[in-house]
Amino acid sequence: MPMTTTRRSFLMLSNAAAFLLATSALVPVRAQGTQAAGFVRSFADELVSIVNGSQPYATKKAALGPVIDRNVDVPRIARFCLGRFWNTATPEQQAQYTTIFHRVLLNTIAGHLGEYAGVSYVLHGESPQGDNTLVGTSIARANQPTVNVQWVVEGAAGSMKVVDVVAEGTSLRLTQRSDYASFLSRHGDSIPELLSALQRQLDNAG
Amino acid sequence: MPKRLALLLVTAALGLSGCATKPPASDKEATADFEQTNDPYEPANRFSYRVSDAIDRYSFKPAAEGYVYVVPAPVRTGVHNVLANLSSPVLFADDVSQANPRFAGDTFMRFLINSTAGGLGVFDVASGLGYPAHATSFAVTLALWGVPSGPYLYLPLLGPSSPRDATGFGIDSALDPFTYVPHGYGLKTFNWARYGIALLDVRSRHLADLDAVKKGALDPYATFRSLYRQNLQSQIDASRHDKAATTPAWVAQ
Repeated sequence: MPMTTTRRSFLMLSNAAAFLLATSALVPVRAQGTQAAGFVRSFADELVSIVNGSQPYATKKAALGPVIDRNVDVPRIARFCLGRFWNTATPEQQAQYTTIFHRVLLNTIAGHLGEYAGVSYVLHGESPQGDNTLVGTSIARANQPTVNVQWVVEGAAGSMKVVDVVAEGTSLRLTQRSDYASFLSRHGDSIPELLSALQRQLDNAG
Repeated sequence: MPKRLALLLVTAALGLSGCATKPPASDKEATADFEQTNDPYEPANRFSYRVSDAIDRYSFKPAAEGYVYVVPAPVRTGVHNVLANLSSPVLFADDVSQANPRFAGDTFMRFLINSTAGGLGVFDVASGLGYPAHATSFAVTLALWGVPSGPYLYLPLLGPSSPRDATGFGIDSALDPFTYVPHGYGLKTFNWARYGIALLDVRSRHLADLDAVKKGALDPYATFRSLYRQNLQSQIDASRHDKAATTPAWVAQ
């Protein structure tokens, strides 16, 4: 009957309209997420090619610096890790701390180069977390359990940076911040003491 | 029984306990930090950490290094799988008590498949068939039931804990059918061997990362405290949120 047909086509039309509305609402979100995943993929690919490369350790370590600086917001992580003490530090102390933090971070990553040889990763989905985007990966090494790592990405497309790495639920920057906070509370909240302890760490690492 | 020994050590540690000094109330930020750290027994905990660390340095760690040196990796993986499979009944009880049918189903299928097709648990066949392993404990259950964690405790040899988490550990031990094996038939020996090998297994799987934390941290004690809490919280979150697959998409959430 014509009545039924009309109703059916109306239903179909409204369904199609609803679908279109829904997808058009989804598109920007998806695009944002895919961009974050794409950013993490290119960053991770760069890291993996350095780690698995055949160059000597010194060359690998030198290559690591620019890749980290381009993809990781190190000053921001440094500031987060100092927590409430950032505001009590003088501008000179802040600058000195950020420089040392940067070198400590690079040393730490470079220190793991050897044990990550032969590493591979799988990229999972991405999900929003406040203003940031979480990108999930699992990282596999020979004879080691697979580790779930989430990358916290901040910023718009084109200027994205990693601001935290969460391995099996433990956040790099939160852990670091509680380490520094505890050190400071046991050393009279003295920023110079923290700076010299970090400097000693660097000197010992060579 | 190692549990009785552990209990004895806990009591001894608490007996030694001194309290951490709270910052003056005028310093609001420091007070907030102190409360967030939730470690009022810090001096006793630090003492317990130092003792455990020394024992580890001269016994567990070298033993685990020896284990890694002597036993080839595939065999170690097999040993780990067998131990994991033996703890399936406890894990299943934990999943059920967390009202988590998907995790419980995973655990049940893993036990079934790995005990048979996996050659008494030596091979983890189930992971490849879509039943991945997950970590949980009765401490997670208690957290989901709304039991507050209580202050941080570093238990000698057992490591980071809290009154809630230690209770969870006790319940997990009580839930373990192997706790109740009768005398004779070498079953007690089997149990002791299982505890010993489990220790080697756990320690050997964390040789590199524990060293990295100790080397990289200015205050390893505080870093382990933070890592422990974050890791437990992620298990609690995983159990709380990861129920999607058991609910059809059209059911209103």
